Parts: sequence; C-alpha cells; structure tokens
Amino acid sequence: MISSTEEDFELELRSLPGVLNVAVGHDERGDIDTVTLVVYGPNAPETHAVAHQIANLYFPGAEIVVEDANQAVRPVESLGRVQLVRAEFDAARGHCEVELQHRGRNGVGTVVSGALIGGASATLAALADLGYEVPFTLQSVTGVSVIRDWPVIVVLRPLGEGPDRYGVARSDDEFAAAAKATLDALNRYLLTRS
Amino acid sequence: MSAIDPLTELEDVRGDGWLFETMRENLASGSLGLGFIYSTLERLAERHGLHDAILVLHDETLGAQSFRLHQLSVARSLLGQLGGESGLHCQPDSVPAIESDAVQTVCQLALSLHVARFGAAHDPLTNISNRRSFDEALRIAAARSARYGWAFSLVILDLDDFKAVNDRAGHEFGDYVLRQFGFALRHALRHGDTAARLGGDEFAVILSNAEGTEAVGFVDRLRTHLKATGDLVDFTMGTATSPRDSTDPAELVRIADARLYERKGIRIL
Repeated sequence: MISSTEEDFELELRSLPGVLNVAVGHDERGDIDTVTLVVYGPNAPETHAVAHQIANLYFPGAEIVVEDANQAVRPVESLGRVQLVRAEFDAARGHCEVELQHRGRNGVGTVVSGALIGGASATLAALADLGYEVPFTLQSVTGVSVIRDWPVIVVLRPLGEGPDRYGVARSDDEFAAAAKATLDALNRYLLTRS
Repeated sequence: MSAIDPLTELEDVRGDGWLFETMRENLASGSLGLGFIYSTLERLAERHGLHDAILVLHDETLGAQSFRLHQLSVARSLLGQLGGESGLHCQPDSVPAIESDAVQTVCQLALSLHVARFGAAHDPLTNISNRRSFDEALRIAAARSARYGWAFSLVILDLDDFKAVNDRAGHEFGDYVLRQFGFALRHALRHGDTAARLGGDEFAVILSNAEGTEAVGFVDRLRTHLKATGDLVDFTMGTATSPRDSTDPAELVRIADARLYERKGIRIL
C-alpha cells in the first residue's frame, strides 16, 4: 500500500493539464527516485517544469521523465470497436433484427426468437454478416427484471478450450440490452483480432 | 470455489465478494484513494494470473487517467492502442466482463473520493491548504496549546501591492504570482508546519513548536525561495504566538492581523 503522502503527490501530478499516467520508481531503500509522466497535449515542456517543482516539495532528488503521447494517441474511432446501430424486436412475430457497424461497414442479423435469446443470437448473426468468425456458442442470457435497471447478462462458451465470456449491459428494453451485453462480452476479443 | 449468486443463479463471477472485502478493509483504514486502485489491480492479477493490467478511468477534474499494475508507466505505444478508452485492459484477456465492470466502477469511486477529499482541503490554485482546513488545523493546535502548553506561532502574510500586479499584468499573471508564492511557502515549511491560502492574496502559516523566534528562520527561507522563483512579489506579515499571546484561535488571528496592519501602516478601528 502506498503512503498517503505518495498518493497526494501522485494526485497532484495527475491534476496537471494533459497528464494521462503517472508511474513512480523506488530505490532499494524504498524512497521514490524516478517519476514518469505520460502527457498528451501541447504543454509537455511546461508540465515537465511544474512537475519538477512539485516533486521537489515531496521528494527532492527524484528524476522526472516526461513521455509525450501526442504522436501515439489515435482517435477512438479507429480502434475497430463494433458498434450497435439498431436493435428492433417485434414481440407479436418474434422477429429480431440487429444492425452493427464496424469501420464504416454494416452487418445485419435476423432471427426468430424471444427478446433475450433473440437479442444475443441476432447480434452473433450480425457479426457473421460483418465477416467475423466468432468461436463461441450462446450459453445463457439472463435478465433480472424484478429489479429496476438490472442488466441483462450474457454468457458465451468457447468452441475450443478457454474460459467463458460474460457480458453485461443495461438499455431501454431487454432486447437491446441483450444485444449490447453480447457485444460487451465479445468486443475485447474482437479488438485483438481486428 | 466460486459461490452461486442467489439472484442470478450464476456463479458469482462479478467478484464483488472480494471487491467488497477490499473496499471495506480500505475504508476501515481510511485509505480509499489511489492506493486502493493499485491494490485492487494487484488482487485482480493474483486471481486471474494476469501479467499486465491497465485501468483507464475518466474524472471530471483530471480527465482521462490510466493506472497500470505495479505502478508501471504506460508506454506511449500502448496508450495509442487504448486511445484513452475507459475500461480494464488486461493480458491475458480472461477477466469476465462483469467482474471487469465491477472493478472499473469501484476504482472510479475511489478516484472520485480521493479527488473530492483533496479538493475539499486544498486551494486549487496553489495546492496548499484552504481556509476551511486551516481553521481546523488552527483549532487543533490552539486546543493542544491550551491543554499541554505546546507553543506554536501563527503567521499571517499579505502580498504587497498585489492589486497593482493584477491591474498592470492581468489576472493570468496574478494567478501565476500566487502559484509561485504558494510553491515558495511550501518550500519554506518544516515538517509539521501548515500553510494555507485564506483568500485573495492573504496566506497563513502555523509554525509548530515555535515560540516566536522561529518565525525569523521561516521568513529567511521564504525570501530565499521567492528569490529563486524570480522575486515576483514581496509581502508583509504579522505573527501571534500561543500560549503567550492567547490560546483562543480567533484571538490569535485578530492579534496577528493587527500586527500585520500595523506594519502596513493601516490602523484598525
């Protein structure tokens, strides 16, 4: 556990404009000897100067390293996350339709089912329409409707070895929540393969 | 072995059992701050055999903030991949989404609490104590002085011609001068002393274990540090010492203020 002085020191550094991350290094006696700041924004040199002043107050002698993240940070849009565009459920016919978008391309999945299983299955079908091979089967979809705003929980089981994946989401209706929970369970898996 | 959640009839994959215990331990020791976030990441890593975990949180005051297991620096290239996206990013990516969501939520709470606690006690411009926490520190020091006879000095400082600095160079430069004065004040303190911005260009210091003469050493140190930061401004001060002058906090402030105004050549009616 870090001391409250170290915590306040770190928080003060984090409150400088543009600081995304703070890491501290300790010498063999446990004293702080290096502080690394990752900074995003136009003021890296100024941040370096002020960080020196702050470090002098708490831990004089600590080396300050500032990493400029300006070149590295890409906008969120290019991350390749799959987005839910539309989730429509016709309760009378059991018609379920989910539309997803990924990097400007759209995929649509349609199944006939109830709201919960339908939301998850239509999402998996839409992923297939987008060209994803998703090596998971739908294990369960649970909506705890007795509690207001309780999320829908989706469990996916891998076709091969590996742990189950769990997704959880809230939405205006169970169908959309099931679709979002399926994406929640899969998006990090999909990111590593995009 | 995981418990079965009676509500969902699923395995207790949300992990709020261990998270709840971790929160309770930290709350009991009053340390639900940044350290809690790191210790939560470490416990999560133990549970799932993670070799890396980065938690990205968003705070109203701080903006996007990333926390990495063992306080390692987040490399620039890695930040590029994450893009500041909130959430728990781990290797191997085997933490159930529900547990990951719960970790993110409680760590977000810990960050917000720490920011709020720090903000409630500090002046945002200079990062020294604010009026409220100073009043509390003065009340405690005066009570100890009355009970045990422990001596301390209250020093009130007022910047000279600060209004003219603002008028001539603008409020932005005025803020810069106040920040530099705050830095110099903090440098001049000894362990156990307290400095605060009372408001505007008025500051105060409690010098612990001081019977009056220590204020001279404090002023020497303060002037040295002000010189190092460009000698942007001078100050006038007044002091009062407890228990010699009084052990009542309000009376000590009144005495120190009166001595300050006397030096400035202002009479108080």
